[in-house]
Amino acid sequence: MSANVNAMSGRKQIRKRRWTRNDRIGFLFATPMLLGIISFSIYPIAAALFMSFQQTNGIMGHWVGLHNYSIVLSDSVFWRSLSNTMFMGVLSVVSGIVVSFVLASLINSLPWTFGRNFFKSVYFLPNVVSAVATSILFSFLFYPGEEGLLNFLLGQIGLGPVGWFTDPTFSRFSIVLMSMWGALGYNTIIFLAALQSVPRDLYEAAEVDGANGIRKWRYITIPYLRPVFLFMVVMGTIGGMKRFTDVWLIGGTAGNPDGTLLTSVLYIYRTAFIGHQMGLATAASYLLFIVILILTVLILRTNRRHDID
Amino acid sequence: MAEHNSWNVNKPVRPGRSPRLPSKQRNQRMGRIFLVTVLSLGSLVMIVPFLWMLITSFDWGARLNIPFPPRLFPRQFSIRTYEVAFLNIDMLKYILNSIIVAVGVIIVSLLSALLSGYALSKIRFRGAGVVLVVALSTMMIPFEMTMIPQYLLFDKLRLLDSYWAFYLPALNYAFGTFLAKQFIDQLPNTLREAAIIDGAREGTVFWRVYFPLCTPIVATIIILQFLGVWNDLLWPLLVLSDAGKYTIQLGLAMFTYNQGLNRMPAIIMAATTVSLLPVLVLYLFLQRYIVESIALSGIKQ
Repeated sequence: MSANVNAMSGRKQIRKRRWTRNDRIGFLFATPMLLGIISFSIYPIAAALFMSFQQTNGIMGHWVGLHNYSIVLSDSVFWRSLSNTMFMGVLSVVSGIVVSFVLASLINSLPWTFGRNFFKSVYFLPNVVSAVATSILFSFLFYPGEEGLLNFLLGQIGLGPVGWFTDPTFSRFSIVLMSMWGALGYNTIIFLAALQSVPRDLYEAAEVDGANGIRKWRYITIPYLRPVFLFMVVMGTIGGMKRFTDVWLIGGTAGNPDGTLLTSVLYIYRTAFIGHQMGLATAASYLLFIVILILTVLILRTNRRHDID
Repeated sequence: MAEHNSWNVNKPVRPGRSPRLPSKQRNQRMGRIFLVTVLSLGSLVMIVPFLWMLITSFDWGARLNIPFPPRLFPRQFSIRTYEVAFLNIDMLKYILNSIIVAVGVIIVSLLSALLSGYALSKIRFRGAGVVLVVALSTMMIPFEMTMIPQYLLFDKLRLLDSYWAFYLPALNYAFGTFLAKQFIDQLPNTLREAAIIDGAREGTVFWRVYFPLCTPIVATIIILQFLGVWNDLLWPLLVLSDAGKYTIQLGLAMFTYNQGLNRMPAIIMAATTVSLLPVLVLYLFLQRYIVESIALSGIKQ
């Protein structure tokens, strides 16, 4: 019936008609996902913003405007946690990308498929290991006394035992080393997939011009993979800014030794769930989000400048 | 450099071949030996932590202190370390709990991702574009930003300390929706059109025609979600306080956290080995799929 009316009154009428059976069914199919997104993404992000303007020491909160933000921003511990997080984040992004790119290039130049697959799966193995297990393993490998495996090896070449996780000068570097062990394989796999996508004729053209392996690598492979490097830097930065589990297990809520392992998420966690100051914690989480956004935009913009050159 | 050498060094030249070839071949072989050596040494670094964990976990002599000097074989080989680990940490229960949570999360997220992916790809209802954009943009929000309101939400619903705190958020799996949509986009539309003309209902079309074709993406989602749930610590740490409901990572973490790290090496290594076993076995058999799934999740994001 309605179909007849529509057919007669032309286009405008069809546009006005809201919901066909098809639309209703489609919407119904998407409902579980939409409910999930609304309740566990959109609502929480809005609620967090609302809470960050409230003082919520107890159950009831009252509006305090930007007070929470000014408290967090003037808290030296917050800045300390942010600088720790960024220090470890930048270090692990840079070292992780360099090492895994070299590794992927080496694996990719293996002439046997079996060899490539073998090394691929060996290097990827730590990636399926949980952060908890990794932290436990490394707390023994990096044991501060000479019994620790790494210190034992250092002892063999005459270097004294190092307090990997107990000495404030080393703790952050040790965390970076540990997370590199865990994350190396992931980056390597992505680089390998990307290396295989470089068109062969580029290399062939370079060979005709007399380029050797290293030069091909430097002038074809690396420029061609720039988007992949960029992707890694962005993802690595975002991931690095969310560091929590390993530092919590190794350094406790205080971020020991001497607060060097206190990261931003650890700061948020202890403000919210130990200090029970949800307002402050959500304000800190928004600040962290802003930092992540700024970093991402900066990375993308510096890359755009390179493109113009 | 290599080219120059081949001219300088006088090598016996086989008839009918380029004079460069033998030296080039030798260089290539040296290069390959170097390559394999470097990669093998690197692999050793990857594997040694596991080996050391395994060796220590069977060493009754290491129950109190790390054995010194490190040895390739346990000083006092024993499986008592495992018995003690199971006695002190309720490993079986934690593993069972983790499996229950993982199965629930996988079912819920598959349902949410496949239904919505199918709707966005094939039904193409009004507003589908907007829904997709909204779903993709929520993927950018880090969990750490939303965890406090989510915790308070479950507190209000009185669902803390229950696995609903895991099952319900599994509905929010935009990445799965994205994967499913991408995959279903590749399947022909004509299957649906033909079935609908034959009088099939949308649910039947989805369940009988498209779902069986989605096996690869279902496997990917199962792998990713299982690893995610099995290895997660932060959310279980927030919502579970009853030790009987701990997941494996939380149980292990709480034990080491309360004992203090570096205590009872053999016992903790035994427990860690047990916690890794399911994932390692899975990796052993499905490593190609796991590597592909995780690489896929990286590339597509």
